[in-house]
Formats: sequence, structure tokens, C-alpha cells
Amino acid sequence: METKTSTSAHVPKDTKRKKKKNPERLMAYSLIAPSLILILAIAIWPVLQSFYFSMFDLKLSDPSKSETHLGYEIDLSRYLDNYPFLISGIDSEIKENPQPELTAIKEDLESLDKQLQDNPKVKENYDLVNDKLLNFEKVDEGTAVVEIDKKLALEISSKAQEAEATLKDLELKDEKKITGLADGLKDVIRQPNFIGFKHYSDQLTDARMWKALSNTLVFTVLSVGFELVIGLAIALLINKAFFGRGLIRATILIPWAIPTAVSALMWKFLYDGQNGVIAKMFEEVGIVNKMAYLLTTDTGAMFSVIFTDVWKTTPYMALLLLAGLQTIPGSLYEAASIDGASKWKQFTRITLPLLKSSLLVALLFRTLDAFRVFDLIFVLTGGGPANSTETISLLAYKYMFNQQNFGTGSALSVIVFICVAIISMIFIRFLGRDLLNDGPGK
Amino acid sequence: MNKKPGILFYVFLAVFVFVVMFPFLWILLASIKPATELFGEKAFTPLTDNPTFKNYISVFVDYPFLTYLKNSFIVSISTTLYTVFVASFAAYAIARLQFKGKTVILGLVLSVTMFPQIATISPIYIILKNLGLTNSYLGLIIPYTTIALPLSIWLLVTFFRKIPFELEEAARMDGATIMQTFWRVIFPLAAPGLFTTAILVFIAAWNEFLFALTINTDVAYKTVPVGIALFQGQFTIPWGEISAATVVVTVPLVILVLLFQRRIVSGLTSGSVKE
Repeated sequence: METKTSTSAHVPKDTKRKKKKNPERLMAYSLIAPSLILILAIAIWPVLQSFYFSMFDLKLSDPSKSETHLGYEIDLSRYLDNYPFLISGIDSEIKENPQPELTAIKEDLESLDKQLQDNPKVKENYDLVNDKLLNFEKVDEGTAVVEIDKKLALEISSKAQEAEATLKDLELKDEKKITGLADGLKDVIRQPNFIGFKHYSDQLTDARMWKALSNTLVFTVLSVGFELVIGLAIALLINKAFFGRGLIRATILIPWAIPTAVSALMWKFLYDGQNGVIAKMFEEVGIVNKMAYLLTTDTGAMFSVIFTDVWKTTPYMALLLLAGLQTIPGSLYEAASIDGASKWKQFTRITLPLLKSSLLVALLFRTLDAFRVFDLIFVLTGGGPANSTETISLLAYKYMFNQQNFGTGSALSVIVFICVAIISMIFIRFLGRDLLNDGPGK
Repeated sequence: MNKKPGILFYVFLAVFVFVVMFPFLWILLASIKPATELFGEKAFTPLTDNPTFKNYISVFVDYPFLTYLKNSFIVSISTTLYTVFVASFAAYAIARLQFKGKTVILGLVLSVTMFPQIATISPIYIILKNLGLTNSYLGLIIPYTTIALPLSIWLLVTFFRKIPFELEEAARMDGATIMQTFWRVIFPLAAPGLFTTAILVFIAAWNEFLFALTINTDVAYKTVPVGIALFQGQFTIPWGEISAATVVVTVPLVILVLLFQRRIVSGLTSGSVKE
């Protein structure tokens, strides 16, 4: 599509060039297409969908809210499981003991049923569902649920409610069965569960969300901060030719390569209040007063989580910075030391400016990773004690998978997404075009 | 700056290696302790007089650990092969061919690597559930594309750019088509880069936790990280078995890292370092 518009938009002056370029361009697009389609389908669309979900009261545990619907709908299989039996029930009551209220209810319901069947779309599914129910076949959601207009929908639910109330007051022979059916009739209408930005306003006024967000920020700032300082120090120290480089490199990579969930569990053992060796060491050194405080107090738990993250990713940070350091030509330092610059001056005037882009890229990816943290905390503390280490991703997970509340969970995950986008934009402003430098390799 | 490192430097290195490796060493020692020595007064003595392999046997006999390993292998290898294959075409086009919207596409790929997984999980979960793909291998391979594909494209673009352009031009002069050039010239030259990308994608898929936790809840389809994390019971935590399982998972990764450290490092740093 794009090739066509772009070639027809401006008349090419150099036809020879155009002939050569055109197949190449087409080829390029067809090579990229599979990846692009996959990315759109598996990453971009789900994010948009999450945003859409976040505006609905979507609860998988509640059948009437398990899907998003914008309009009013009627569940015909429920309706046809109720309405005919209710009518025949009322009929037999009338035979026993004619009361004017009963006849009124019957007439009302019959007129509503007629209105329903007047709609050709409803009528078609009405008969289909009815046949299936009569044959004891399973009716699928798609045919059973039909959209109807708001006025009729509201009328059906209000009449059903009214009927139930009236029936309860009457002396009936089979009262239980009939009121039960009337009660069931109330539930055939599905109201739209679109609620707009209510989840957001609820979350933004919810103390638990703010606590989770501030936990996430504390975790991100502290762990990335420590990782940067310690990582840079290590990188500077090992930036020389020395014996055993390969070994150091492998050592550095191991904590990074082990699944976070596995290392989190490992640390849970080391932090254990009774048998944990690291907990014991911290107690001896005086970092904590009692071994058990590490995982059972809020500051202790936050400290433990950050410490583990620093242990796991500082070496990785050091590795990224080391790679950046090695691209700085040694001649710069020689020249500087001839001019009499001190080590510190060399560091601030040569190393830092030249390391800037590596530093920012490493920081960007580490910050985002820390902000999205899930598995480390899920395994190590589960967000406890008393939600003191609950991060925003963990909170979203809990809403979605422990409470089956996908609407609220999606709203929280959109909040995470927006935060991540803001963080990246800040970094990319500093990085400028460095990151997306495209042009063929030099 | 490049002075010969002194004794103090090596002492520092030794301390550094020890600090980084200590948790693993401790777990390794704990894994061969009998259960009684994991608690109580012997909990802090590193060595045991009664080493035992009971924990290792228990991991494979009492827990479906072998199933977890198998699942992780199947899912990670399938994800790696298919994403690296698809990504290599896109990366070639981005690195070598001229077309409109290249920067936009590259920016899109980069931004997708930054997406928080939690923001994609609810629709993906609902779709997979409706398709009946939860608790299946495909149920993880499909969402792992989110992580693996942008990563592969991003890495491969940097690798492809390092291949000298002249070789390709020569092939084109000789009348080779774009596809021929790609398969005959670029592909063999890019093999090390492809391999590096494959290792990194494999590790990323092997370590993934959130999708695996939520999508495959059935024991028969759990992956290793989730399986191990859920070893802990409601009231007791079998530390002996957990230690043994950790060692079993760690050892292959350590071997992988030792063998391919050079490649892994080049892959990790290629995106972040401008030469």
C-alpha cells in the first residue's frame, strides 16, 4: 500500500533509479510483514485491548459480566428456561384461584414477549434456542445472547421485578416455584458493563494503589541507584587486561542467567528467619536486630527485595558499562595524564561524557525492568508483609487472577504501561537519536 | 589505565567472585545435607558429615520435575527457532534495504521490548482461554513472541549491520536476487550473530515467569521457574528439595554461560554500545 502511494505521489525524475528501487522496497516490506503482523497481533493489539477492557466492569467469575458489552442484551436461553414455565405456572394458579393481579402480570409478560418476537433478529434466535432447549441440547453463548433496544430491556427487567414483588404478596399454591421463576426472569437482561473511566478514578483514589505505586518507585530508584554506583565501580576496576577475564565474565553472567523466580526462592531460603545463613550474617553484622525481621517487617522485606535485585543485576550492569568503557580509546587518557590531569578529572572529563550513551541505555533498560518487577517479589515476599512490598504489577496480577476482576486489573496494567512510557520518553529525550541511529553499518 | 594489576586487585576479584557465587555455593552445600541438618544448630555449618543425594532423588520421584524440564525445553526451543527465523528476514530488511518508514518500524520494535508484560496479559489470557489454548505448549509459545520477537529483531539488526556491505554488493553485481544474496552471502556470515541471538532468546524464554504462571496452570504443562516457585507448600517449605532443584536448573545454565560467555556478552552489549 505504502509503496503505491509513495511512488504515485511524487513523479520520479530519475526513472532508472526508480526501477531499481521499487522491487527492493516491495521486497523489504514483504520481508518485514510477518514480524510486523506478529508484533501488532501479540503486543500492540493486546495493549489497546487492555485499555478497552479497563473501561468495563469485567469479571470472569460473574457470568453476566464475563464479557464486554456496550448495549443491552437478552439471554434467550435463560429467558426461555423461565418465561414459558412462569406463564404456565400462573395459568394453573389462575385456574385454582383467579386473582386480578395474576391476570395483569400474565398479560404484561405476554405483551413483552410479543414485542420481543416482533424483532426479526430476536425471533430467529428465539426459535432456534427454543428448539435446542426442547431437545435438551446445549445452546452456545453466541446464539443465546441477542442485543435488544434499551427501552424494551429496561421494561422487561422492571416488569420482572414488579411481577416478583406482586407474586410474593399473593396467596399462591405453588409460591416457591413461581417466585423463583420470576426471580430468574430478572436476570435475563444483561446491562451494558461499560463504565468509562470509573476504574481509573477508583484506583487513583485508592490508598492501596498509591502504596503499590510508591513501593514500585522506592524499589526502582533504590535498586537501580545502587546497581549503577556499584556496577560502575566494578566496571572501572576490571577494565584492564588481567588474568582470568573469562572466569569473571562467566561469574557475572550466572546470576543474570538464572530464572529470577528460582533465585528469588534461593534467597528466600537464605533470608529465612530460623535457618537462613544470610539472615544470620546480617544479624551478626548488625544490619538487622533479629534474623526474623528480614522477611516479617516492612522495611526488612523491602530491604531484602532490593538487596536480592542488586545482587542479581549489578554484575550485569557492570558488564554493560565495561563494554562501553572499552570503546574509549586509551590514548585519550595518556594525553590527559601528560597534561597533568588527575584521575578524578580524567573520570569526569573523559570517562563520563564518552560513557554517556552506554550509561543511559543501561539505565533505561534497568529502570524499566525494575519498574515492571513481578517474579522476584511474587516469589520472595508475595507482596507482604501487609502489602509493604506489593508493586503495581503484582497488584494488577492479584486483581486479575486472584479475584478474576479483569476490569480493575486492566486499568492498573494500563497505569503501569503509562508509567513505563513516561520513563522511556524521559530517557529517550536524553538519548536523542543515538538509540535509533539507522544507516547501514560503518 | 592499563597498568599491570597488582595483588590487591586479585584479592578484590576473589572477593567479588565469592560474593556473587556465595548463594549458589550455599545452595549446593544445602542440597546434599540430610533434612535434619537444614534446621537447628547445624543450619549454619557449611559442610555436612553425612552427604546424601536423597533430595535429588526426591525432586524427580516426588515432584513432576522432569515434566517441568521437558515443558520448558519444548516451549523455549520452539519459541527460539520460530522467532529467530521470522526476525532474521525483518532484521535483514531493516539493516540492508532502503524503504520508507524504517525508523518508525525500528522505533516500534524497540518500544515493544519496553512493554510491561502485565499490560498485555489480560487480552492474551482471555483469547487463549476462548481458543482453548491455556494449558498447552502453543499457549506459551504464542505470547512469548511479545518478548522474543522484538529482542531478536533488535539484536539481529546490529549483527547484520556489522557485515561488510561490499560482499553483498558484489553478489548483486553478479546478478543475484535479494533472496539469493540473503541465503548465500548474508546468512552464512551472520551465523554467529544468529546463534548469539538464539542463546539470548532461549534464556529469556526459559526464564519467563508471568505468562507461564497464569496461562499454564495445569501440572502437566508448567515450566521450570513456575514449577520450582510452587514447590513451597501452604505451611512447609521443602528447602532440601528446592535446593536440589535449583542446582539441577542452575548447572545447565552455568555450562551454557561458560561455553558461550563471549557470544552472550557480545549479544547483551551490542544493543547498548555505540562504536
